[in-house]
Amino acid sequence: MIKKDDKTVEPPNEKPHRRIERNDIPESSNHIPPPESSVLKGGKVNSKTRALKAVTSILADADEKPQKRSNDEGDGTKKQRSEYWGKGIGKFEYIFYKFLLVMLYSCFGLFRYGQYQYHKMKLRIFSIIYNHAYTPQLIRQDVVSLKKIPKRLAAILEVKPVGDVGGGVTGLLNDASEIVCWTVSAGIKHLMLYDYDGILQRNVPELRIEIQSNLAKYFGPAHVPNYAVKIPHSDKIFYNLDGIETETDVGNEVDVNDERDKIAIEISLLSNRDGRETIVDLTKTMAELCAVNELNVSDITMDLVDSELKQLVGPEPDLLLYFGPSLDLQGFPPWHIRLTEFYWEKDNNEVIYSVFIRGLRQYSGCKVNVGK
Amino acid sequence: MKVPSIIHIQLVAFRRLLVETKEQFCFAVKSIFQRIFWWVMSLSLFSWIYITMQNLMIKALSVGPIPEHVSFIMDGNRRYAKSRRLPVKKGHEAGGLTLLTLLYICKRLGVKCVSAYAFSIENFNRPKEEVDTLMNLFTVKLDEFAKRANDYKDPLYGSKIRIVGDQSLLSPEMRERIRKVEDITKDGDDFTLYICFPYTSRNDMLHTIRESVQESLENKSQSKINIKKFTNKMYMDFYSNKCELLIRTSGHRRLSDYMLWQVHENATIEFSDTLWPNFSFFAMYSMILKWSFFCTIQKYNERNHSLFEKVYEGVPSILKRKKTPMSLYQFPNPPISVSITGEE
Repeated sequence: MIKKDDKTVEPPNEKPHRRIERNDIPESSNHIPPPESSVLKGGKVNSKTRALKAVTSILADADEKPQKRSNDEGDGTKKQRSEYWGKGIGKFEYIFYKFLLVMLYSCFGLFRYGQYQYHKMKLRIFSIIYNHAYTPQLIRQDVVSLKKIPKRLAAILEVKPVGDVGGGVTGLLNDASEIVCWTVSAGIKHLMLYDYDGILQRNVPELRIEIQSNLAKYFGPAHVPNYAVKIPHSDKIFYNLDGIETETDVGNEVDVNDERDKIAIEISLLSNRDGRETIVDLTKTMAELCAVNELNVSDITMDLVDSELKQLVGPEPDLLLYFGPSLDLQGFPPWHIRLTEFYWEKDNNEVIYSVFIRGLRQYSGCKVNVGK
Repeated sequence: MKVPSIIHIQLVAFRRLLVETKEQFCFAVKSIFQRIFWWVMSLSLFSWIYITMQNLMIKALSVGPIPEHVSFIMDGNRRYAKSRRLPVKKGHEAGGLTLLTLLYICKRLGVKCVSAYAFSIENFNRPKEEVDTLMNLFTVKLDEFAKRANDYKDPLYGSKIRIVGDQSLLSPEMRERIRKVEDITKDGDDFTLYICFPYTSRNDMLHTIRESVQESLENKSQSKINIKKFTNKMYMDFYSNKCELLIRTSGHRRLSDYMLWQVHENATIEFSDTLWPNFSFFAMYSMILKWSFFCTIQKYNERNHSLFEKVYEGVPSILKRKKTPMSLYQFPNPPISVSITGEE
């Protein structure tokens, strides 16, 4: 009933298939990560001395004066209360507590540094234990011993600074295609790749070439499995490398009903646009439909919204992998993470196989009991 | 290798026996240790030290950055009861007590708003007895909280309680009671407690979609629906976009349909393996300390000026070198330029 007419109003990207730009700096994303991951992802900027400086800087902060309860006059109960609870903090006391806080912070910082080193060591050992060696058979062997695997896998990717190893857009594309290879090898049929700025969506041809070459590396050029790349937002599907050799054909839409060989993996590319904005767009569309009496407010039910969002974004993933140092959902579509299991390795900052396989292990051990 | 079935059965039985004895032994040792621990703690000196320490720590942290909205998923009450061999009801009671203790601490730390996942809509699927117990317990706690919020001698004085969720699923008398309690405490503005009673986040979003559609129908002016307006219409109105810290206990790494909208952008999500009734002051304190520590550094990085600059700002301007724009030709002449080839 409700078609995706909001899509036609607003073309998602002005240039859907722009050639890759090597120094493509991500748009100044207005995403503010939670404190911990923002600090840990900062890279070289966050040296130990800098942390120490930051911690001591709170001593000099004048902008946070001790709060005085100024509106105590008049109100009887409040007065009564302030008499009972004593006055607010005095100036000296305030400074004393600030010193104490700096000490607490320093202790915590030291502890956290130790923890960081411990995690790094653990990750190094894991990367020795879990090694795919570019062999799909090994990956399948790792997976076979598990009790269950997720039906749909999602992963949050992010662009690293261009100067870093595996940074920039090329690094992102490489990461994405690696994950695709692991997922195919593990036997999972659906993969959702999320990146905040939608860089993957804008570089689909490059992504497909990258996936193709990486799959060839794993399976050999003769046995590259079939894959479909889907952009739910603009409702496009691309199969394998179809139409990529002829430059003019790029982005040619292929009919879904087309007879094809079995597709081993379906990859959907999501961006921040599919999150809150899509829900708000859906609300707008519903409001318009209600205005012309095609829909009743009482008709808006959980099932309707759910089915619409399933169509617009895709079904709910079972396992969400994040390859950053501390969990940061970055605006992943909120409707879709209802029961999704999260997995991330603390203090890890790379897309590595051990995170993938350990995530699957955690999933195989988890028990979902809705409400019970 | 094939093991004869008799031996196999015996092996299994033996193993089970071993596991059981081990479990019992562990339980006994644990309870003895706990008893000793609590005995030591009950000595007045120790308890004095403990309380003073706690006070100092809370006050110290409260002068730093503090999250505005802290949210709890209180998971693990039943497993707690099971592990202590208590009836399920006791587990829930213990959980309620933990929440109350943590509320005190949050309020003293300066947290503006706490929300807690008390009951999911999916929980109606539980056995009827347990649902009834939970309902009863809830009403009792609600009254207790209302009383405390109005008693100026109580640390919770001046707090507001709001019950959010799909209240059409509750019985009418329950709704009446909730309305009364909300009414009593509506003037509190220091601290807000949101209890998500029959709540799921999807239901929250659905409710907001409906409200938005309804509103746009009513005023035909077509005031555009945008993310901000949408967010403000959610159950936790003002605090809907500000959940800085979400704490989930008992080891599951998922959100279970709680606060999806509030948390998916830039909240810190902490998962803890302890069961909710065991979730202590120190566990929460360390989480908030961690948040606060990283927040300090983040703020510092954003602001990007050091202590020195701060001091320098305070120096009176006469002492500073002034920088005035000047034309190039007003500069003193540079020394004579001479080339090594000797040309003029």
